[in-house]
Amino acid sequence: MATTVQSGPGSLVPALGPERSVVWPHRTRRLLANGLEVVLVESHNIPKFTGQLYFRSGNAAAASEAPGLAGITAEVVRTGTARRTSRQIEEDLRRIGADLGTSAGADTSAISFAGLTDFAGELLKLVAELAQEAGFPADEFERERRQLLESVRIERTTPSFLAGERLRRVLFGAHPYSIVAPSEAQVAAYRREQLVDFYRARYRPSTALLVLVGDFSSAAMLGEIERIFGAWTAGEIAPPPNPPLPEVRGRHVHLVHLPEAVQAQVLVGNRAITRKHPDWMRLSLANSIYGGAFNSRLVMNIREQKGYTYSPRSGVHALRQHGYFSVHAAVRNEVVAATLTEMFYELDRMRALPVGEDELADARNYLSGVFSLGLATQEGLAGQLSGVYLDQLPEDYLEMYRERVRALSADDVLSAARAWFDSANAQIVVVGDRAQIAAQAALFGEVATYDAQGAPLA
Amino acid sequence: MTRLNIPVESTTLENGLRVVVSPDRTAPVVTVGVYYNIGFRLEPRGRSGFAHLFEHMMFQGSENAGKMMHIKLINSSGGVLNGSTHYDVTNYYESAPSNALDRLLWLEADRMRALKVDDENLRNQRDVVKEEVRVNVLNQPYGGFPWLDLPPVAFRNWPNAHNFYGDFADLDAATLADVQQFFRTYYAPSNAVLLMLGDVTAEEGMSLARRHFANIPAGPPRPQADVTEAPIDSERRAEVEEKFGTLPGIAVGYRAPERRTPDWYALAMLDQALHGGRAGRVYRQLVLEKQIAVDAAGGIHYPVGDVFDYNGPTLLVSRFLYKPEYSAEQALAAYDAVLDEVRQPRSDRGQQGIDRDELEQVKVKFRSDYISSLEGGHGAYIPRYGLMHYMACFTLFDGDPTLVNSILEGFLAVTPEQVRAAAQKYLDPKRRALVIRRPSKPGKGAA
Repeated sequence: MATTVQSGPGSLVPALGPERSVVWPHRTRRLLANGLEVVLVESHNIPKFTGQLYFRSGNAAAASEAPGLAGITAEVVRTGTARRTSRQIEEDLRRIGADLGTSAGADTSAISFAGLTDFAGELLKLVAELAQEAGFPADEFERERRQLLESVRIERTTPSFLAGERLRRVLFGAHPYSIVAPSEAQVAAYRREQLVDFYRARYRPSTALLVLVGDFSSAAMLGEIERIFGAWTAGEIAPPPNPPLPEVRGRHVHLVHLPEAVQAQVLVGNRAITRKHPDWMRLSLANSIYGGAFNSRLVMNIREQKGYTYSPRSGVHALRQHGYFSVHAAVRNEVVAATLTEMFYELDRMRALPVGEDELADARNYLSGVFSLGLATQEGLAGQLSGVYLDQLPEDYLEMYRERVRALSADDVLSAARAWFDSANAQIVVVGDRAQIAAQAALFGEVATYDAQGAPLA
Repeated sequence: MTRLNIPVESTTLENGLRVVVSPDRTAPVVTVGVYYNIGFRLEPRGRSGFAHLFEHMMFQGSENAGKMMHIKLINSSGGVLNGSTHYDVTNYYESAPSNALDRLLWLEADRMRALKVDDENLRNQRDVVKEEVRVNVLNQPYGGFPWLDLPPVAFRNWPNAHNFYGDFADLDAATLADVQQFFRTYYAPSNAVLLMLGDVTAEEGMSLARRHFANIPAGPPRPQADVTEAPIDSERRAEVEEKFGTLPGIAVGYRAPERRTPDWYALAMLDQALHGGRAGRVYRQLVLEKQIAVDAAGGIHYPVGDVFDYNGPTLLVSRFLYKPEYSAEQALAAYDAVLDEVRQPRSDRGQQGIDRDELEQVKVKFRSDYISSLEGGHGAYIPRYGLMHYMACFTLFDGDPTLVNSILEGFLAVTPEQVRAAAQKYLDPKRRALVIRRPSKPGKGAA
C-alpha cells in the first residue's frame, strides 16, 4: 500500500472545514381520493421541473402471463392516445421543450418527464393522457415488437447483460426476479391484447406515485394535479406473485460462452436484503468499503495495484420483495482466477476482521457526502424521493440519512458483512470465450456452461 | 427569455491560470474542475491514445500526494472524482460537500505543480487502459461505432484522423519520459482554467485560487499545431466488421463549421431538426415511418461531445442500425431522402423543407436541453457538470466564460432560410464520410 498522508497538525493537506447543514426544501405530500400519492418539492435553481409517475406493477407482476410484458406495454403507451397520433405526441413534446420516457422494471412501470416551467400544464395533461387513454395502435405495436426483437438479439451479445441475466436466474430460480429480459420467442409471441389488459389493470391511480421536483409553487401545482388527475378511476390491483426462492448452497460457476470474446466479464453475487431491512445502512457502508467506491479495497487491489481491470465495482441491489449483492469486473482472459481469488480474499477479510477507525470514518464520510451530492440536482432529488415512497421508507428517511450513517460502528460493518457477503455460497458467473477461461473458472467450483441464448452446453 | 443570468466571476492569475467561480448556495456542495487545453487531437505521433493514458497518470501521484492519495482524500471527504479526455480538452473534476473545498484545490494545485510517478505506475495504468479499451470497444457490440470509425475516413491530417483510444503497440511504447514531456508541454497554468461551482462565494473562491495556484510557475507557451484539413471532395466509404452485433449499421459524417460562426448556429438548429429525439426527422422517417432502421441518432461532434465542446475540425454525424432484410444501398437511399427534404423549402407543392413552425419547436427544445445540460449531474453525482464543461470551453476556446449566459441568442435568431442554406452547403452526399458496420454473424430478420 502507498504511504499515508494524514491531515491535521504538521500536514500539508488542508483539514475539512465545518460542515454546512442542509436546508431541506419544503415537501408536500397528498393522497388524492382515487389513491394517487402525490409528492411535490420546490427547487428553483433552473426554470424547469422533472417528474416521475410510477405504477407499482412491473415485469414481475406479469411474468406468468408473458416475461417482459410490462416493458413492451410501456414502450407502446407513448405511441398513441385516443386524441393524438405518435407523431403528434412527439412533436407536441418538442413544441414545449419536454422530454418524456416510458419504461418498466421488475417492480414498477413508469412515465418520466422533464420540461420548462412555462409549459408545465401542457406536459402534465399529456402525461395524464398517456396514463389513462393510451390507444395501443396495432401498427405501432408491431413496429415496437420488431424493434424489441432486434434489441434482445443485440443484448445477448453484450457481456455485462449476459452476466447479469445469468446471475439473476441462478439467484432467483422460479421467482419472477430471475427474468431480466424476454427471449426472442417470447417477444414473437406477444399479442396486442395482452398489453391492453396489463395497461387497463395496472395503470391505475390506486397504487400510483407522482413525484414532481422543480420550479413551481406547490400550492398551485397541487391544484393543477387535482384538476388533471382527480377524475381518474381507482381500480383494484392484485399484488404481484411472490413464489418461494431456490436454495442456493455452495459456490458454483456459471459460464456463458461468448465466442471470440477478448476479455472476461466476471460477476459474483448472493441474495441479500431490501431497503426496508434493518441491516440496509450497515450493508451499504460495508459495500462502500469493500468495492462500492473508487477508494474501496477491491478497486485499490485489482485495479490500482494489479491492473487487472478498468472499472470493478460492487453493489447492493434492492428489489421490492428481495435483494442481492454483487461484484463485477471485466478482466483480461489470463487473470480470471487471479481476479476471483482477490474478490473472495477481500470478501473474507470483510467478514473476518473489523475495519479500523480511520477507514471507518472515511467510509462514513463518503457515504454521507455522496448522498448529499445525489440530492443537488432536480433529477437526483426526484430519484431519491421516489425511492423513499416506492419502498415505503420512513417519511424522514432522507433527512435522517446522514445522521444514521454517522452512528454506524465497526461492529455494524462486521455483522453486515458476515450476514450478507455470503462468500461460501456466492455464485460465480463468467462470460467469455470458454477455451480461454473455463479451466481457471473451474478452480472455484463445478462449472455449468451456457450459450448466449441460455441453453446448456456440454 | 433568451439571456440567462447565471453568476460568473472570472480572473486571470499572473501565471496565466484562468479562474472562474459560479456561486449557488442552495445546496452545501461544490464542484471543482481543472481543464487543460489539450486533448487527444494533439497527442504525439507514434503515441496514439497517449493523451488519455496521461490523464490516468494524473491520478497516480503528485508532488505531495502519492499514489492513491488523490482518490483517498476526495472519497474520504465525501466526494467523487474523475477525469476525461476529449478532442481539445482534458478535464479533472470532483464534487464534494463544500467543507472540502480547500482540500480539493490543494490537490488540484499539487498535480498542476508537479507529477511524481514511476515506471510501475505507468505499467499499472497501461494495463488498466487496455481493459478500458476492451470493455468499451473491442469486447462490445458496436464498440467505437462511429467515434473511432469515422475520423480516419473523414480526415487526412493525423491529429484529426488517428485512433484516439490508442493502438496497443503505441500504448506499449509510451515511456515515463513521454509522460513528463507531455506534462511540461501542455499542463502549465497558462494552458488551463480552474472552475468552482456551487457553495462558494466569488471572493472566497478567488482568494483560495490565489493561495493554492498563484505560485505555480507559468511554464512555456503552448506550442502551435496545424490541425487544418483540406476540403473533402468526394464521398469516402469504408467497411468495418461487426464481430458481435447482429444488425448492420451505417454512420455518415459531414464536416461541421467552426464554432461561433453564422453557419455553426444554423447547422445546430438543422441538427436538432434531424436528430432531436423521436420527433427528429431521421428517427421519425427511418425508424417510425419507413421502419428500415431500428435505432437512429446523431449530432454535431456526436457521440463523444456536442456543439459546444470542440475547437477544430469535426463532423455532423448520423448513425443508425437497420434491419438485415434491407441492403445498405436501400437504407442509405431512405436516409438520403430525409436530407433531400431539408435542402428544399417547405411549399404547397409538396416540398417538405423546414418551415418556421418546425424551427420554432426545435428552438424551444434546444433551449430547454441547454438549461438541463447546465444543471445536470453527469450521472447525478457531479452537480452542474454541464455548466462547468461549457464555461471551461468558452474560456479556453473563446476567451469568455460569460458566453454561457448569452450563447443561446445566436441559435434562437436563426431563420428557416439559413437552415436550408446550411443543409445545402454542409449535407452534401458528394462530400461526406460513410462507414458501414457489417456483422460477421448477421441476424435472422423478422421472427
